[in-house]
Amino acid sequence: MTKRLLMIDDDPDFVSGIKAILDTGGFEVDVAYNPKDGLAALQTKQYDLLLLDIMMGRGAEGIMIARKLRKDARLRELPVLILTGMREQIAFLFPGEPIHPRFVEIDELVEKPVEPKLLLEKVNSLIAAAETKKAGRK
Amino acid sequence: METKPRILIIDDEEVVLDSCSQILKGSGYQLEIADNGVRGVELVQEFQPDLVFVDLKMPGISGFEVLEKVREIDATIVTVVITGFATVSSAVDAMKKGAYDFLPKPFTPDEFRMIARRGIERRRLMLETIALRREKELLREQFASIVSHELKAPLGAVQQNLFALDLELEQTLTSSQKIKMERIMVRIAELLKLINSWLRVISVDINKLKDGFTQLSITKPVSNALESVAALAERKNIEIVSSINAELPPILGDAISLAEVFVNILSNSIKYSPDGTRVVLNAGVQGQNLVTSIQDAGIGISPEDLPHIFEGFFRGKSGQAMAGHGIGLAVARQIVDAHHGSISATSELGKGTTFLVTLPIFVKD
Ligand SMILES: Nc1ncnc2c1ncn2[C@@H]1O[C@H](COP(=O)(O)OP(=O)(O)O)[C@@H](O)[C@H]1O
Repeated sequence: MTKRLLMIDDDPDFVSGIKAILDTGGFEVDVAYNPKDGLAALQTKQYDLLLLDIMMGRGAEGIMIARKLRKDARLRELPVLILTGMREQIAFLFPGEPIHPRFVEIDELVEKPVEPKLLLEKVNSLIAAAETKKAGRK
Repeated sequence: METKPRILIIDDEEVVLDSCSQILKGSGYQLEIADNGVRGVELVQEFQPDLVFVDLKMPGISGFEVLEKVREIDATIVTVVITGFATVSSAVDAMKKGAYDFLPKPFTPDEFRMIARRGIERRRLMLETIALRREKELLREQFASIVSHELKAPLGAVQQNLFALDLELEQTLTSSQKIKMERIMVRIAELLKLINSWLRVISVDINKLKDGFTQLSITKPVSNALESVAALAERKNIEIVSSINAELPPILGDAISLAEVFVNILSNSIKYSPDGTRVVLNAGVQGQNLVTSIQDAGIGISPEDLPHIFEGFFRGKSGQAMAGHGIGLAVARQIVDAHHGSISATSELGKGTTFLVTLPIFVKD
C-alpha cells in the first residue's frame, strides 16, 4: 500500500525539492506550509510519517508541534523525520551516525539539504521501525 | 525616571562620615555610610553603590582588603581611597590595585564634591562601555542568524531542488551533462560548508558545551575522528598510525566536539602532507593531564606563522596553496579551552608538524 507522508515546512522551494524526491520514491506527500495547517492535517488524516522542519516562523515552532504530538495518544506513534538547517546547533554530524532527538518515540534528525538516497533510506527505515513496534504490541 | 547615583562611604572617623553626609545633602545622590570595613562590604552587597569611598587606615579589616572585596563583588564599582597626608604613598599603592582616585584628608567640600562627581561619571562610562559591548555581541548573534536565514536557507533550497532534478533526469542526461550537474552540486556543497563554518565561529557558545560533559575515554572521539577522515587519508595514500589504547585514564568532556577537534587537526595533517607519508597519533599521561599528539611529516609551518595558527581566519603561507578558511584550528582551540585544556603545535619547515592536545584527567570528587 502506498505510504502517505505529511511535510510541514515554511519554505515552498525547499519543499518542492523534497517532495519531488519522495514522489519518485513512490510516496504520497501532503504539504503544510505552517504549523497551524500542519496540525490540522494531522488531526484529520492518517499519515505514516511526518517530515518536520524545526525552524519555522518566529523560531523553533517545529518543536511545538513535536510537543503536541507527544501529548496525543494516537499521534505519539507517528514516526518523525526532522529536517533542520541549523547544523551548527547540533554541532558535528558524523557520517552515518544517526541523531535521535527523542522528541517523539520514533524520530531522527537530518540536515538540510538532504541527498535523495539518504532521504529515502531514512523515510523507509523510520516507517519500518514504527510498524515493527506496532506489530510487536499486538 | 533615572535612579539617583549611589555613594557609599566607609570610614572609622565619625567626623569624616558626618561632614561627607553634610556636603552631599541635597545634591542628588543616595548615600550610605559604614564605620568599619566589615559593615562596608556588607553594604556594597545590599546597597549596590556606584562609588565607594574607603578610608585606608581603619581598625579591623583594612582599606586594602575592602578594596579587594569590592572588586570581587563587582569590578565595575568605582573606588576612591581616603588618606591622610602622611599616607599618600599608600594611596598610590591603592590606585595601582584599581582604585580610581584618592581624597587626601583634610579636604574642602568642593574637593569632595568634585571627586564624587568624577567618580560617578567614571562609573557611568564603565556601564555604558559594557552595554555597548553587549550590544555588539547581540549584533554578532543577529548577524549569524541573518547569515543562516538569508544565505544558507536559500542555498539549501537550491541544492535540494538540484538533488531532485538530478534524480529525475538520471535516465535523460548525457554523461557530459551529468558532469556539469555534479560540478554545480559540489560547488554548492562547498559553499554550504563554508557558511556552516562561519556560523560555527560566530554563533555557537562553546561554553554551553559544559552542560553536556560526561566522563569518557579519549579513544571515543579519536576513533570517531579517524573514521571521519579515513576517506580523505585514503585519497592521499596517507597512513594514519594510532597507538592510542583504551588503558588511558578518562577525561571529562563532550565526545562530539572533541571529535571535531581531532577531525580538524587530522584533516590539516593530511592536507598539508605529501602523498604517501604517515600521520602518527599517540596519547599518554603527563602529571594531571592526558596529552594526545598528532604528528605529520608534512610541509611544516614557518616560525612567523606558528604563533597565529589558532587565531581564526588566519591562513599560513603553507595554507594559502590549499583550500581552507582558517577556521578549523580556531574552533579546535575554543573547544579545548572549554574543556580546561590547551592545544599547541611545534613545527619545522619541510619536516613536519606536531600538534599536542592536553586535557585534564577526570578525577572523582
Ligand atoms: N599540519 C599542518 N601542517 C602545516 N600547516 C598547517 C598544519 N595545520 C595547520 N596549518 C596552518 O595553519 C593554518 C590554519 O589552519 P586551519 O585553522 O585549519 O585553517 P585552514 O582551513 O586554512 O587549514 C593553515 O592555513 C596552515 O597554514
